[in-house]
Amino acid sequence: MENFGNLMDGFRIAASGYHVVIMVAGVLLGILVGVLPGLGAPNGVSLLLPLTFTMDPVSAIILLTSMYWGALFGGSTTSILFNIPGEPSSVATTFDGYPMARDGRATHALTLAFLSAGTGALFGVAVITGLSGWVTQFALKFSSPEYFAVYLLVFASFVGMGNASPFKTVVSMMLGFAVATIGVDTISGNVRLTYGIPDLVKGISFLVAVIGLFGLGELLQTMEEGLRFEGIHARISPREVLKTALTLPRHWVTLLRSALVGCWMGITPGGPTAASFMSYGLAKRFSRRKEGFGKGEPDGVVAPETADHAAGTCAILPMLALGIPGSATAAVMMGGLMIWGLTPGPMLFIERPDFVWSTIASMYLGNVIAVILVLATVPMFAAILRIPFSIIGPMIVVVCFVGAYTVSGARLDLWFALAFGVVGYLLKKLDYPIAPMVLAMILGDKTEDAFRQSMLMSKGSMSVFYSNPLVGTITTLAILLLLWPLLSRALQAARKRPAAGGNPAR
Amino acid sequence: MRDPAAVLLSRFAVEVTLAAVTAAIGAVVTIGALEFGTGWGDGGPQPGYFPFYIGIIVMLASGGVLVEAFANRERLRATAFLRREQGMRIAAFFGPMVGFVLVASLLGLYVALIVYLTATMVVQGHYRLPRALAVSVGSAVIFYLIFEVWFRVPLLKGPLEALLRIH
Repeated sequence: MENFGNLMDGFRIAASGYHVVIMVAGVLLGILVGVLPGLGAPNGVSLLLPLTFTMDPVSAIILLTSMYWGALFGGSTTSILFNIPGEPSSVATTFDGYPMARDGRATHALTLAFLSAGTGALFGVAVITGLSGWVTQFALKFSSPEYFAVYLLVFASFVGMGNASPFKTVVSMMLGFAVATIGVDTISGNVRLTYGIPDLVKGISFLVAVIGLFGLGELLQTMEEGLRFEGIHARISPREVLKTALTLPRHWVTLLRSALVGCWMGITPGGPTAASFMSYGLAKRFSRRKEGFGKGEPDGVVAPETADHAAGTCAILPMLALGIPGSATAAVMMGGLMIWGLTPGPMLFIERPDFVWSTIASMYLGNVIAVILVLATVPMFAAILRIPFSIIGPMIVVVCFVGAYTVSGARLDLWFALAFGVVGYLLKKLDYPIAPMVLAMILGDKTEDAFRQSMLMSKGSMSVFYSNPLVGTITTLAILLLLWPLLSRALQAARKRPAAGGNPAR
Repeated sequence: MRDPAAVLLSRFAVEVTLAAVTAAIGAVVTIGALEFGTGWGDGGPQPGYFPFYIGIIVMLASGGVLVEAFANRERLRATAFLRREQGMRIAAFFGPMVGFVLVASLLGLYVALIVYLTATMVVQGHYRLPRALAVSVGSAVIFYLIFEVWFRVPLLKGPLEALLRIH
């Protein structure tokens, strides 16, 4: 019940006129970012973050989270109308969304996508609301060794659960750590890895890296493929929307299953993209109309959309409560929290309950506003994509570089953004995962500090990571995940049974 | 487009080159860490400890990527990384982008964005100059209003703004 009272306080702050205006602005910017290729949620939030440095943290987080919801919705719009996923997490929506639109059921597909996405998001926020109090109590038992063990678990899960080659995951992650160590070492005060370049003393900002890796890198890839938009015109009539809304309860099994998958993948660092694919796969496996999938099956739209948004919202919980982001976008927001002078983690719930609970309350409101706005503005944003790409492309380039410059007003950051753009393009084309690199840049310092503080506590003995049941369990889990690629191969060889070690997430 | 002559780079070549580059970065990080103690002091690891081993792990994992690439070399050699047509598109997009950054770091972001947008619109979009100029100058004004006036975040300015006394 304490949660409920806190939530009501949160609503009082979040529902103020100023904050509703911010939500509308954030959602609209988010849809724009989600619709435009090359600009996705992580770098949309990165671009906006420098502008929030002077804002009140509550207003700032509302702006950024609203932008995130908008971006998720925008990504679905282009998936359905143009067969071009605006976001990696809406790739699975193209499988059935585009065929539906092509068959003249565009409104049906869009409405279904938005409503199931909204349902997934609200389910996710409800889960967050329920878990927050519990997570906080749990997290209060945390000190440095526990934090390090959890960070280890996060990074190990990328190696163990990722689809990419484990070597590539490790290279990507470790390069991120290397970038994080550049600059002043917070514990000893030494200036590391600057090679005598004074501009490197303050380190390389992860925001510049995200803008390069996700924004410019993705743009280069899009350009290479020779972009052509062949969209389907959609006019949304309220009657059609209502008719579709009435069919939504028929999909309740898919909705529930997908929401659960999404919540799980959002809280663990699986992320929305993995969630949407997994949910689509499950929907297809359990469907009575398997052969309809890929040809315009409504369940094929409901499943990925619900999971995508449930994961997106749930990713906020571990970020706030533990300081561990469940998605790349949540990672960037967490970086923002630290810049605003807040420390993500259990103490945040005790020191700034107003911040935490107005964030959660704004997630309810923001998603409802987002569903309404996205339905109302689909024709407008679809029209934006009909502007020739020789204008839009360079415009996005300019926005990315301006965003990179505003991070700290440094000329050198323009070159860094360019370099990260090339890196992002190469890594993506060669199937190196980028999320672990970004997460390592953001969490690198904290991980190292947690380890070194644990070592200070234990006078250099590793046994501290097995000093109580909690930290021991997490450490063991992390080591198992880290060794999973080896373990699963060994198991397969031993049993000579293919796919014996598949699907570690279940 | 299946014509092998049109393949500029094979996937194998790029995999191997990138693995070599990441290994080299690993070496640079390891050497940079040697400046500090890389050992285990009284209070746990010394400042150079983490970068030192990060560098070494990068080198080892890059080695792993190399081994994987050579193990699959038949398939990777047959896979195109970049075809001629794609290469042209990338060059046409990336070249002006580098030009934009160069001009921006010399003359400021406003001048660079006007030059860049105008040039790409005229050369690649085949717009008439007046129209392209209108769009790009208009964008510069919008950027000025959003960043300098509304959010009070100054953007990089060069000698031209100083001459015109725009702050």
